[in-house]
Amino acid sequence: MRRYVIKRLLSLVGTLLGVSVLIFLMVHLIPGDPATQILGQFATPEAISQMRAKLGLDQPLWQQYMRFVGNLFAGDLGTSLFTGEKVWDQIMNRFPITMQLAILSVIIAAIFGILLGTIAAVKQNTIIDRLVVLTSLLGISAPGFWIALFLIWIFAYKLALFPISGYEGIHSLLLPAITLGMAEAGMIARMTRSSMLEVIKQDYMRTAEAKGAALFRIILSHGLPNAIIPVVTMLGLQFGALMAGAVVVETVFSLQGIGSLAIEAISKRDMPTIQGMVFFMALIFALTNLIVDLIYSRIDPRIHFD
Amino acid sequence: MKIHRWKQGALSVFVATALIAGCSLQPTNQAGNDTSAKGNTLVIASLTDPDSLDMHKTSWLSMENSLIYEPLLTRDASGKLHPRLAEKYEISQDGKVWTFILRKDVRYHSGDPMTAASVKDSFDRLLAISPVKGLAGPIEKVEATDEHTLKVHFSQPFAPFVNVIVGGLVSPLDAKKAKELGDGFADNPSATGPIIFDKRERGASLTYKKNPDYNWGPEYAANKGPLQFDSMMFRFMKDDDTRLMEFKKGTVHVLYDAPPNSVAELETLPGVKIEKAMDVGNKYIAFNNKHPLFSDVRLRKAVALSVDRDPLVQVALNGFGKPVYGPLAPTIYGYSEAIESKAKQLYTRDLGKAKQLLAEAGWTDSNGDGIVDKDGKPLSVEMLVSQEPAFQRAVQILQSQLKEAGIDMKISVQEMTTIKERISKKSYDMALMYYGWFDADILYLIFEKSNSTSRTHYNNPELDVLLNKGRLEMNEQARLKIYEDAQEILVNDMPWVPLWVSETVIATRGVKGFTVNPYTQGITLHDVTLEK
Repeated sequence: MRRYVIKRLLSLVGTLLGVSVLIFLMVHLIPGDPATQILGQFATPEAISQMRAKLGLDQPLWQQYMRFVGNLFAGDLGTSLFTGEKVWDQIMNRFPITMQLAILSVIIAAIFGILLGTIAAVKQNTIIDRLVVLTSLLGISAPGFWIALFLIWIFAYKLALFPISGYEGIHSLLLPAITLGMAEAGMIARMTRSSMLEVIKQDYMRTAEAKGAALFRIILSHGLPNAIIPVVTMLGLQFGALMAGAVVVETVFSLQGIGSLAIEAISKRDMPTIQGMVFFMALIFALTNLIVDLIYSRIDPRIHFD
Repeated sequence: MKIHRWKQGALSVFVATALIAGCSLQPTNQAGNDTSAKGNTLVIASLTDPDSLDMHKTSWLSMENSLIYEPLLTRDASGKLHPRLAEKYEISQDGKVWTFILRKDVRYHSGDPMTAASVKDSFDRLLAISPVKGLAGPIEKVEATDEHTLKVHFSQPFAPFVNVIVGGLVSPLDAKKAKELGDGFADNPSATGPIIFDKRERGASLTYKKNPDYNWGPEYAANKGPLQFDSMMFRFMKDDDTRLMEFKKGTVHVLYDAPPNSVAELETLPGVKIEKAMDVGNKYIAFNNKHPLFSDVRLRKAVALSVDRDPLVQVALNGFGKPVYGPLAPTIYGYSEAIESKAKQLYTRDLGKAKQLLAEAGWTDSNGDGIVDKDGKPLSVEMLVSQEPAFQRAVQILQSQLKEAGIDMKISVQEMTTIKERISKKSYDMALMYYGWFDADILYLIFEKSNSTSRTHYNNPELDVLLNKGRLEMNEQARLKIYEDAQEILVNDMPWVPLWVSETVIATRGVKGFTVNPYTQGITLHDVTLEK
């Protein structure tokens, strides 16, 4: 197991190098010039040329890339062209909110999704099953901003249980987390349901039933552990995506997370920030996948990595 | 037993992750996020967090990052010039030396007195590091000839300088503090304003506190001493619905840049007042004047004559704006009522005239499909437009209006950054654009030969002569005449199509005396009071 983890981390370096090439090319292929953005509406061509030289944008792409990678190895993600802040500092200012939001969302999605999915599977082809499927479809389909505004209107504006917007500790993340969690719960519920339906048909389930085990125990002890593998995969992917920011929800709730930082950087062509952030997101996503794989072997001892 | 271990393992993963999140979380100052509009704090809902609070490092001065700075001269709400940090000023006979006599009672937030030497240091810093220093003109050097006398030397006369000052570009900052703090000055700025920087949570809020020693308010303010509230906070929210709900809830006093279509609803709320402030610039259609089609003045005029500006203002802006036909907005120094009237007379919508001009240029509807064509090719042009909602609504109206004249306009939605790049590369037909500046010198920045490559690619030697003279002429009446002549050329040649001036809509509640000065685009804080 330890050897496997080390091997995965080493291959992660290769992955991240590949990511850095893609990031670099992608950023430099976006039309739009950071120099004109910095200099404002009335820049003269001379001023633009000087600014491009100062930013190093007049150098060949390969030289710019080598500088970028060199800085990466030194642990330096660069400095924002606009705010003058270190990219790492900007990310760390915003990441805690995104992190908490992602964790809360995944917890909500897991609890409701797995619960509803399991109920639907056990009650297959009944009215309960159809209600769960319909509800999960609704959760998947409803646009995030609509759910967000609906929740804000009721719980923040009318009932005044939560702040309408902004970050005031974990309490203020509940509405955004529910917004995100509802959509994810729909996916989890459907995944759990179909996975559980497969499991219910297995011989060992019939054996457990024949031995007189209680229904609850059959489902929780024999069924769910076997059904949970693909659900964990789904949760891992969702968690990784959330760690990259949930832009729409961040906008509606005025949360200053990583997603909104990314949008701002892109609209201004703040290249160092874009590069640094995408790299960071890729790193988080890859690490999340590794953790998910490790969770597999705890859930199902037959899955092991050497 | 296996189940038990599984549950324990899963729980420990979540707990560990939550702990990591908790440890990495920066301490949140609850007081800084107090969103109830209480405790004598003026709360303003705003759209955009400024990129830097260091005035010399930002490329965009806005209300949020400029209120701590004060200019040497300013204008009141009617546009009249007033002394500010400078008691008086004079210009040398040759126009190259501007002399300012500074007030003697002004202090920076650090406690240091504002002297001519400190203002010189501020100028030197601006000229050394500001990305937009070119806008300040051809300054050769700045000197402090005594404790309160400042001289600015230009390599050649620069008449727009008074409006550069009013616009706030060269306002003094505490250069000594800036030198001490280096890059950290942006996180702890010091200047002469009635408010002092308090704290900032990037992307979320920006808080200032009252300057208790302030006693140099402007002539036109009733209150010249310290502000009448203890602090003010900008809260940054991008989503219109969220901002509206915060305002309705009462957590913010001022909804800055309220969505125009929300005004009818806001006015029904008790205690709500709607203010509006005209921008210092136009929205306009930028032609590619090097384009095969639009190098022909007749086509440009045909477009101008196809446009009906009133529906643009009523529908796209919900009435919060003013149609313009001439080059300058009424808030810009150098605006001419005579030119505006003439332009309006010439370019009020007239489809008959538009079609006639198109026909003269060889474009007629030969196949009866409603679109004019020439040699079998239909007149089809592309309009670049940003995602901004008002622009989106406007461009659809323009599309149908031009179609009635036989012009097939296709809409291409792009990011503003991309639009600017395509304009500079002449890779466009038309674009819906905007500008903002305080002086008619804006025409030099847009149309003068060495500058127009980044805007309209328009070249007119006669206009160049006038625009250069406008920078050199120090006599005010003569200068205004120069710009009137320049504007007349623009009206006759129509290298762009001015459309409207926007008005920023501001909703307030629980506040008295909150106004925005259109000539400085700033809030006059001095007479603002909070209702209990």
